[in-house]
Amino acid sequence: MRGTASDTNVDRRDFLQLCAMAAGVLTPGLAVRPASAQTAPKKGGTLRVGFYLEASTMDPHLSGSKVDRQIYHNIYEPLLTLDVKLGIKPGLAESWQQPEPKILILKLRQGVKFQDGTDFNAEAVRFNFNRMKTEPKSVRKGEVASIESVDVVDAYTVKINLRRPDAALLATLTDRAGMMVSPKVAQERGAELERNAKSAGTGPFEFVEWVKDDHLLIKRNESYWNRQGGPYLDRVRYRPIPDDTVKLQSLQAGEIDVIDYVQPRDVAAVKADKNLVTLDVPSLAAFAYQINQTRPPFNVKALRQAVAYALDLDQIIKGVWLNVGTAANGPIPPTSWAYDRTITPIKRDLAKAKAKLAEGGKPGGFPFTITTANIPINVQEAEVIQAQLGEAGMQVKIKLVDAATQLSDGNSKNFDMISYQWSGRPDPDGNIYQFFKTTPGTSLNWSGISNPQIDALLDKTREVSSQPERKKLYSELIKILQDELPMVYIVHPIEPKAFSPKVQGYEPIPDGMMRFKEVWLK
Amino acid sequence: MTRPSPRGRERARRWTVLRQAARTRLGPLGVAVMIAAIAVALLAPLISPYDPLKQDLGNALARPDRAHLMGTDNVGRDVLSRMIWGTRVSLLAGFGSVALAMVTGGLLGLLAGYAGGRTDGLVMRVMDAVLSFPPLVLALALGAVLGAGLTGVVIALGVVYTPTFARLMRGQVLTITARDYVEAARALGAPGWRVAWRHVLPNAAAPIVIQASLSVAFAILAEASLSFLGLGIQPPGASWGSMINAGRGYLQQAPWIVFWPGTALFVTVVGLNFMGDAVREALDPRLRK
Amino acid sequence: MGRLVLRRFLATIPVLVLVTAGVFALIHLTPGDPIDVMMAESVDATVKANLRRELGLDQPIYVQYAAWTWRLLHGDLGRSIRNGEPVIENVGRRIRPSLQLAALAMAISLVVATPLGILSAARRNTSVDRVGTTFALFGICMPNFLLALLLIFFFGVKLRWLPISGYVDPLEEMLPGLRSLVLPALTLGLALAAVVTRTLRSSMLDALSEDYVRTARAKGLSESSIIRGHVLKNALIPVVTVLGLQLGTLIGGAVITEYVFALPGVGRLVVDAVFARDYPLVQGVVLLIAVGFILSNLAVDLLYGWIDPRIRYR
Repeated sequence: MRGTASDTNVDRRDFLQLCAMAAGVLTPGLAVRPASAQTAPKKGGTLRVGFYLEASTMDPHLSGSKVDRQIYHNIYEPLLTLDVKLGIKPGLAESWQQPEPKILILKLRQGVKFQDGTDFNAEAVRFNFNRMKTEPKSVRKGEVASIESVDVVDAYTVKINLRRPDAALLATLTDRAGMMVSPKVAQERGAELERNAKSAGTGPFEFVEWVKDDHLLIKRNESYWNRQGGPYLDRVRYRPIPDDTVKLQSLQAGEIDVIDYVQPRDVAAVKADKNLVTLDVPSLAAFAYQINQTRPPFNVKALRQAVAYALDLDQIIKGVWLNVGTAANGPIPPTSWAYDRTITPIKRDLAKAKAKLAEGGKPGGFPFTITTANIPINVQEAEVIQAQLGEAGMQVKIKLVDAATQLSDGNSKNFDMISYQWSGRPDPDGNIYQFFKTTPGTSLNWSGISNPQIDALLDKTREVSSQPERKKLYSELIKILQDELPMVYIVHPIEPKAFSPKVQGYEPIPDGMMRFKEVWLK
Repeated sequence: MTRPSPRGRERARRWTVLRQAARTRLGPLGVAVMIAAIAVALLAPLISPYDPLKQDLGNALARPDRAHLMGTDNVGRDVLSRMIWGTRVSLLAGFGSVALAMVTGGLLGLLAGYAGGRTDGLVMRVMDAVLSFPPLVLALALGAVLGAGLTGVVIALGVVYTPTFARLMRGQVLTITARDYVEAARALGAPGWRVAWRHVLPNAAAPIVIQASLSVAFAILAEASLSFLGLGIQPPGASWGSMINAGRGYLQQAPWIVFWPGTALFVTVVGLNFMGDAVREALDPRLRK
Repeated sequence: MGRLVLRRFLATIPVLVLVTAGVFALIHLTPGDPIDVMMAESVDATVKANLRRELGLDQPIYVQYAAWTWRLLHGDLGRSIRNGEPVIENVGRRIRPSLQLAALAMAISLVVATPLGILSAARRNTSVDRVGTTFALFGICMPNFLLALLLIFFFGVKLRWLPISGYVDPLEEMLPGLRSLVLPALTLGLALAAVVTRTLRSSMLDALSEDYVRTARAKGLSESSIIRGHVLKNALIPVVTVLGLQLGTLIGGAVITEYVFALPGVGRLVVDAVFARDYPLVQGVVLLIAVGFILSNLAVDLLYGWIDPRIRYR
């Protein structure tokens, strides 16, 4: 893997398709792209953002929540970044090389300073990786598990020694595992970094204050190393608003300027609202159900397949998701380079479903429970699925649980079929490996699948470095997954974001993270 | 002619109370509402135009029209049918939890009132503890332990309302056993339970009925609030509260999903209040002049 | 009197023990574990096990309860598992919005209920009375999240008179602060108004039937001066009692209102803590709510006894 900025192996047809998709979903006539010559970006103003959840920690190495990442991408910077097509671009690392499969050399950008004034250099990078591996509460350990050690070659060159080839590592370094925290701040502040991230990053904004459950404030970093194209905003103020309806109403009433997600049921109304701008941002996320193979009834493959054939994904996408998303053929989202268009999602076939029921020894159907989170769209989807499976003779009971119970039931494999939402990672490995690899004990492999063929393929995808080859492996994998069905995938949602028309310059990247460097207010 | 016995006088007074209650204008209205609600609940299979669970995704969020008098919800189910069947669930939640509270609280109150002393103190301490316990935490925890369905909610609400009835019963026991003729009966050797049966319970009936009617109203509302947190009747079943909760995201597009169950809830709760108020008015000593 | 207070105080200790033991048992029985919730996307079993050991979560329940009680007796309510901050600080931050909301709700309920209650009593059993009581009922006969939503819709979205969500401290910025609290306070206050109207009406009727009132009427004083003179003052006592008793509910029970209006209050704190299985936080907040409830009950009882010597103590 030898790489600089232009290493994106998306073939021409995919590229054009993506462009068409992106163009088609943008609200006609309302572009939120960098403006033309007449309207030059203006400095100043406070952008008010509404999120559904409170952030949980300001320490990127200890963070396990999706909301945190939204803020990190503005105050910290990762070593590598993503472009609009999910290709890997330089970040704090200018270039990278892999002379051997188990060695990654990063050449770091020079002249970058942390917000506390200390230099960003190879020492800082090594400090950060060590911290991720050794800090007791670090959540990044799994992500950097393939890293054996990090050497400082010179002030701006870092050599990462891997314990095994890891094709997914570059993509991992575009998110929290690649985010660089000032060593001085980390050492001096210790545990307080979780609540106070002042001067800790290198990003276009810096942390000001965080009043729990009320707001989080960041302000422009005047000494940011890249003043091209921003940052323009004076400040960004994040507010958690747990109720979706109220969040949207706050936007409509002009109390906030941006919301991170418009519910499918509100999309039509928001798009029709002349006072708002909507952007459909395809995401990396997947909504699915894990099916428990370790106990009856779903230890019988035919019965799992019966469920898959009885599901009508098209009806779910249309009726529940209101077409704000695409039917899934597996864990890989359409925005990924590894997405194989030729593999279709499983089509509904009641006759086959009934045949599979008979094959599985339950010709008249059987009862089981779907465990799902108490969120309106989950509930609606579960009700529709209940009706669909009912037509094949399966009697589904719905069990609503809160998040803690869902995790507990999933981890202890105390479920028949349980809903699972994964926010998605830029590299397919992040969406696949830990769910399907044989893992004893507690893991994200809730279904309990243990299939040597799958295991072998999974390991190979990490070793092989060429994208076309990996894509072929993943396609093979998806076909097996559609047969074995440890998880049944429903949809890759689109995550529409809504803005006040004052907001200009927003460039969506399909990882769903809202980066505000280039944004300005009219 | 012998004078009417104390017990006879009591019985006469009880009938007067009922007659007084009936004479108020709103009391019978409240009773009528209750009877209507119970009737709807019992006759649900007969009067419901559609299967409340039948989905019709193509016709979701349809305006009220000839085919669907109250429109359809977000998966195309008939709102009217769901409302009719939902009456069962809401009334069950209301009456079930209050019945539980009445029985438990009543027994505890009787025990405390009769036994007196340490037992009284102990029982009342426990009741105080239950009262100081945040009800939502109790409901959430019970929901997670027992499963989120209606049973958990009924039990949680039952526990929450028990102290009210316990205190009420205890107060009645203390007041009534202090009356002369009761003391006389006990002096003559009547066993405690008989005194309870003949004197205490009949007299306590009215205040308890008042409290019960108000508590049922609150319980029905509480079930609606708990569905906000994911507790109560599980999908695809419906109660008025869960319909309101599920429909509030569609308030602007399809207000009928919220409006009709909301009205049903409102009317029923108001009716219960009228009933309770009427009995209370009738009991009012000021009226006896 | 002092001995009475002390005795009542001591009597509350077994109650508090019951409450805390009860919530401890209940929350530990619920499936789910705070570490799993915090680190949902991580699979590192050793890290999780280490954290559990560090927090003492691997001990049997009675050991954990004993440890918690021991720390409590030393004045330490523990630290939240989620954010590592002391429970006291977590609550301290949230108590102000809750108290302000409660105060405003009570004020609103008095403003609505006082004229309604007085009129209903003065014109008893006339149509004014019936309309008044029905109107008062309106506030409680609707689930509060529905009322909240309707208020938001009319005043926030359509009319744009008031902010929809978020909290501004009135003590820091008076007008914006009050505006941010009006809608949630209305939601709570209207419900409270129904209860207060009833209580006021009932106590007014009681007061109006007193002998001195008949004497005053016989003397020829006008109805309104009678009411203003003595009746109202006496009638307000039970109202104060009711409001005092409701204070506990308003603070710990305004969860839904706090959710809908995105207010950082105590109610949301405890419910979020339950959802996250943040045991120390749940324990601490429940204890504080129980203490608050008991204290306000005690205060109301003492106030009542002090005002009305006849009720002073058995």
